[in-house]
Amino acid sequence: MNITTLSLILLIFSVYSIVDRIIRFIRKEQNQSVFKLVATIFIWGGISYIALFPIHNSNTLIFFGFIVVFFILFRLLSILEKNERLLTEIIRKEALKDLK
Amino acid sequence: MVSMKLTSNNVLILLPVFNESKVIFSVIRSIQKEGWKKILAVDDGSTDNTYDELKKTGVIILRHSINRGKGSAVKTGLEAAKILNSKIVVTLDSDGQHNPKDIKKMVEEIKKGYDVVLGIRDFKKRHIPRFKAFGNYIGNIFTWMFYGLWVNDSQSGFRAYNKKAVDLIQTNNDHYEFETEIVREIVRNKLKWSEKIIDVRYSDYDQKKRNKQSFVSAVKMIIKLVLFG
Repeated sequence: MNITTLSLILLIFSVYSIVDRIIRFIRKEQNQSVFKLVATIFIWGGISYIALFPIHNSNTLIFFGFIVVFFILFRLLSILEKNERLLTEIIRKEALKDLK
Repeated sequence: MVSMKLTSNNVLILLPVFNESKVIFSVIRSIQKEGWKKILAVDDGSTDNTYDELKKTGVIILRHSINRGKGSAVKTGLEAAKILNSKIVVTLDSDGQHNPKDIKKMVEEIKKGYDVVLGIRDFKKRHIPRFKAFGNYIGNIFTWMFYGLWVNDSQSGFRAYNKKAVDLIQTNNDHYEFETEIVREIVRNKLKWSEKIIDVRYSDYDQKKRNKQSFVSAVKMIIKLVLFG
């Protein structure tokens, strides 16, 4: 195991992200889901593994490729969901105007 | 016992409505016959004559300009309940499957001090389709897995809330996931809850409806809850 400054930073950041997500999930904070918890552990766990045991082959590239695609897809779905909710909020405000 | 004088004026009956022009008039009349005066209908962007039918009944009507889903309509109704300062809100489906006679026992349960009362269907009764009982059981398992609370009917639309619950409950989902989200909110806000067996009547009209909850919508619901909570 060859720990460099960069791998140490990555490791600290990974542990922080995973612990933060677990705490949020346990507290049942809004918008926390099992999927987000598993995704966080998977992604940051993978990053910390590579930080600890660097492998310079195609498997590493494929792994990071998966992470990038996965991240983009999740961001797109999140944006879509956020827009749906915003649209509903606008329609709700409009409907409630009749009552005020 | 909660020392609260409850008249039918303190109770708001909330109906989310979407394309129910054929039955909505009779559904509302049957609720009014039971003595419930304060009825709020949220027309969720109906494209048939539902809005005109609602106007004939004299109830409070709110209208979504486009269809956003049952959950969004109920949430609009709950927001309205805050403005109207209602002490108790009872939600029921607008297709006539729920019996208005059951409203009284839901309200009485709230008067006992519960924050939320979930109406549960008695799946042992023969007239309830088997696929509904099975689908509901699967829904209950997922609800328990997500939020750690076992309820006997996670998808029932017949529910009652007191003011505290209405003020605390925060939901995001627009469609049928809403019913499951309520269970999450019970857990999150540590609300006192109970269940009450309700009567359901599945007519041909209800079974043929296009906007009813299907297997596909149930799968979508689970994916959405997993992805976005």
